[in-house]
Amino acid sequence: MSKINSNADRFRKQVIAGELEEPVDEARNLAQKLGLEPYPVNYWIIDYDEMNELIAYGGFQSRYPHWRWGMAYDRQQKQGQYTGGKAFEIVNNDNPSHAFLQESNTMADQKAVITHVEAHADFFSNNEWFGLFTSGQADEGAVNAAAMLERHARAIDEYMSDPEIDRAEVEKWIDHCLSLEDNIDQHQVFERRLEIDGPTEQLDEDLAEKLDELGLSEEIKGEVFDEEWLEKLEADDEQVTFPEQPQKDILAFVREYGKQYDEESGRGVEMEPWQRDVLDMMRTEAYYFAAQKMTKIMNEGWAAYWESVMMTDETFAGDDEFLNYADHMAKVLGSGGLNPYSLGMELWEYVENTTNRREVLERLLRVEGISWRNLTEVVDFNDVLEALEPPEAIDTITAETLEALEDVPEAWIDREALERAYEGEIDVDRYPWKVLSETGLARRHYSLVKPQNRGFLARVSQNELERIGRYLFDDARYASIEEALAAVDYTAGWDRMFDVRESHNDVTFLDEFLTEEFITENNYFTYEHSAATGQFHVASDAAEDVKKKLLLQFTNFGKPTIAVYDGNYNNANELLIGHQYNGVMLDLGQARATLERLFELWGRPVNLLTIVKEVNEHDIEVAKRRNREPEAEERGKLIRYDGTETTIEDVPWEEVEHLAADDVDYDTKPDEWLA
Amino acid sequence: MGLRDDVERFREVGEQRREDLAEFIQYGDLGQSRPGEIKIPVKIVSLPEFAYDQRDKGGVGQGDGGTPDVGQPVGQPQPQPGDGDDDGDGDEPGEDGGEHEYYEMDPEEFAQELDEELGLELEPKGKKVIEEKEGPFTDLTRSGPDSTLDFERMFKEGLKRKLAMDFDEEFLYELCKVEGITPREVFEWARGKNLPVSMAWVEEAHSEVDDERGKWASIEAVEANVERESVQQKIRREGIKHVPFRREDERYRYPEIIEEKEKNVVVVNIRDVSGSMREKKRELVERTFTPLDWYLQGKYDNAEFVYIAHDADAWEVERGDFFGIRSGGGTKISSAYDLAAELLEEYPWSDWNRYVFAAGDSENSSNDTEERVIPLMEEIDANLHAYVETQPSGNAINATHAEELERHFGHDADDVAVAYVNSEADVADAIYEILSTEGESDE
Repeated sequence: MSKINSNADRFRKQVIAGELEEPVDEARNLAQKLGLEPYPVNYWIIDYDEMNELIAYGGFQSRYPHWRWGMAYDRQQKQGQYTGGKAFEIVNNDNPSHAFLQESNTMADQKAVITHVEAHADFFSNNEWFGLFTSGQADEGAVNAAAMLERHARAIDEYMSDPEIDRAEVEKWIDHCLSLEDNIDQHQVFERRLEIDGPTEQLDEDLAEKLDELGLSEEIKGEVFDEEWLEKLEADDEQVTFPEQPQKDILAFVREYGKQYDEESGRGVEMEPWQRDVLDMMRTEAYYFAAQKMTKIMNEGWAAYWESVMMTDETFAGDDEFLNYADHMAKVLGSGGLNPYSLGMELWEYVENTTNRREVLERLLRVEGISWRNLTEVVDFNDVLEALEPPEAIDTITAETLEALEDVPEAWIDREALERAYEGEIDVDRYPWKVLSETGLARRHYSLVKPQNRGFLARVSQNELERIGRYLFDDARYASIEEALAAVDYTAGWDRMFDVRESHNDVTFLDEFLTEEFITENNYFTYEHSAATGQFHVASDAAEDVKKKLLLQFTNFGKPTIAVYDGNYNNANELLIGHQYNGVMLDLGQARATLERLFELWGRPVNLLTIVKEVNEHDIEVAKRRNREPEAEERGKLIRYDGTETTIEDVPWEEVEHLAADDVDYDTKPDEWLA
Repeated sequence: MGLRDDVERFREVGEQRREDLAEFIQYGDLGQSRPGEIKIPVKIVSLPEFAYDQRDKGGVGQGDGGTPDVGQPVGQPQPQPGDGDDDGDGDEPGEDGGEHEYYEMDPEEFAQELDEELGLELEPKGKKVIEEKEGPFTDLTRSGPDSTLDFERMFKEGLKRKLAMDFDEEFLYELCKVEGITPREVFEWARGKNLPVSMAWVEEAHSEVDDERGKWASIEAVEANVERESVQQKIRREGIKHVPFRREDERYRYPEIIEEKEKNVVVVNIRDVSGSMREKKRELVERTFTPLDWYLQGKYDNAEFVYIAHDADAWEVERGDFFGIRSGGGTKISSAYDLAAELLEEYPWSDWNRYVFAAGDSENSSNDTEERVIPLMEEIDANLHAYVETQPSGNAINATHAEELERHFGHDADDVAVAYVNSEADVADAIYEILSTEGESDE
């Protein structure tokens, strides 16, 4: 919503921007010092209304025209009215990134947002899943998301303004595409076009083209050269089945081979250029946003972690602002349930602590006379922790203590900055980190000696010790514990974190780092629905069950996996998609409605093969009386929509067997649980 | 393009998809609305997607200070971290994801739409004089600030006066030079020609030209030789500078005072809260009264509402409590009208439009209707008295209040309406019955 800003408004924002210039510059310096490599970030000062607008638009300043944005804005505004809702931070994945600061935030909030944003920008630029979108492009570094979305907005606006095209039709078409926005292949590098081996001969299309050249009316065509006739002709030819491999990118598939359904003639006809173009744009946007959806926990946790290092450990918030900040932090992390900030941050801290612990233990296990069998007996962990404490010289740095830095290892020092600090060119009291190197900062903020982590080292289990001990490379031996500890690499934790942030997504991240300890400490449990009681019940508090359930919610955007199995189903150019069944059935109501949308993009009948669980009424009655859970039976179903009606029919198990995975089980119901 | 357009477009889409008004009144959820903001559900289907069956999927929860025991019911599933890049995923399982947004109307729009929907023609009457507005400066007064002096009028008056009073002085001078003529003869000639000249002026002129007397032999000679000039010609020659301005012609303009009548309405809602008014009956009353309130609020500039609950006694209540109250006791409808009459004293009939709506199940103490209620209804001046009978289970034997009213006032009374609401389906008709009754009286 472009708004004419009064000069006063602009002036006010300029003043705020002026005040923020230093924090922005220094946050960037600090982030880089800590080893982060963020995209450049452009910061914008905006007011409350503008913030609401951005939220409605998913963090961008312009999006394609659609009433759903209007609805989102309406909702956003009302929510704000009742809750006084405050958005702290919006940053979008772009190079350069754009971040938005609400003018009413306190200085402490602004600094928190800025440090948080810098970490996000680092994540965007380094996580490989984000790279999937950009690496298909000629210029890999350039995301240009804002420009792309703006371009889409203009193009769609033009279509809508075209007197030949009905605006509502465009909106509807967008909706059809959006229904399938998660049906892409998010694990593949984004390609504009999809190379699939299509049918070798496109008899149907060629014929249709020739018929078009005859200039016959649709009616006559329908009567004389109807589908049946075409089919018969084609049936004489060899049958064509494609794609060869199940194709997960349904949007791409319909883009290449789909048609639009023409109501008048009652058949699929070629898509209008605008339709194909809109489909393309929606698919591109789906790929662009996919990385964010796949790394929510990691990304939010990453930002929360570094924000905390910068704000709390490096006191980037001034003393006067710190209370404000602590309050803000408590609210963000404390909001209940499995919130991505706290879950993510805890997991990152876990990565850091376990890596550091492992590093320390590996050193200790190399000491003469220490093995995994006796380590806990011969090593006093309190002594170890004391040795790991950062030396006073780098723990407290002020203008007066600079001399003390001459005694610490040179690798910890940023020599050039230190010289400037001697000259008084650097305000060391304010920015003590400036005189340290990344290694020095790692030493200064070593995780194992932080108050909240002090027990972590001692908590190592015998199992883990054994594992570390057995696989240890015997490449060095130390004569004493002191000698071993002197060799500890203090950057091990951060280095590991940087590696993980490059290659993982939420699924692999949770799978690898969500521990039993974490699950038990936070009282997590799984729940399942009981057909007998019609209610959800607590099913299990076992860590592996909780993890399993959690992974289900993150795998494939937490959505069932659907793929195209045949683009020439029934040898009649119908579409067959299959649900790759992992033990959790589809929401059939939604599946039917989605099929109807898919039909609009295929133009001919669409079919879905799936497996459902059925429980018969009698079994439920019996189960109720006996306080048991009735046994469900798995059955194959074919759901078909032909443009007018949906039919569901049973199919023999052989036809769906290939869809059923036998190596996964997300069910966490115990045998006896309703007693 | 832009969010503003999107919001507008959403309003458009909402308008098309909002629930039909009559449907909404009869079956919709009226509780979402607040006075001044009527919310009509809009069916927005959230986009479907391939998703897991919520029940089969299960989920992860977090215990509050301990893990709950296995088997314990957990109520509604907690929001899951994987959910919601777009919020509002709270679809019911198995349904194709219908979702309610609200289309918001203010009471004005509601009244207008209801007029169209039901074909009503209620024209609110202006009553209370609320302010004297300054109209155009069209009234005149003899004094005032210079800026409001009506110069045009003063000039016209001056001109008229000049036209009326001026005469051809030169010609009269010549006339005075006729041999042996006397002032009286000149005066009489001039008067004979309707010249507005005075005797004093003639005498003075006569003496001025004493030495020239004898220039003309006779009046006829003057008439033949001296050209006469009409006043019009003279003004043209002299210019308007000589139009005399007189104080007495000064007029100052001042604004006309227009009495603006504000359209005021006071609506008295009376409800029987006695023991026989069970849940269903109460609901039907709420369903009927609420849209009436909205409608009148939309029609009038200023609407005030008075809520009276009664069993055998009556008392005034707040709107928030009105539809919820239940009491025991018997029923005496006249108690409510007594209280209404008292409360309406604050809203004089000369200044206020008044509507008195009562509802109940038609049960009343014996003879109360005939002996007390009907006289009171006749006594209380109002645009409209209405009684809404709610009897979901058909008529009870003793419930004759509505019937008695109808018998007394007749079907065609223009200020008394009786409506029967036995189910939701009757609500729209009842509202039409009530609101169209007053309309008839305006013909």
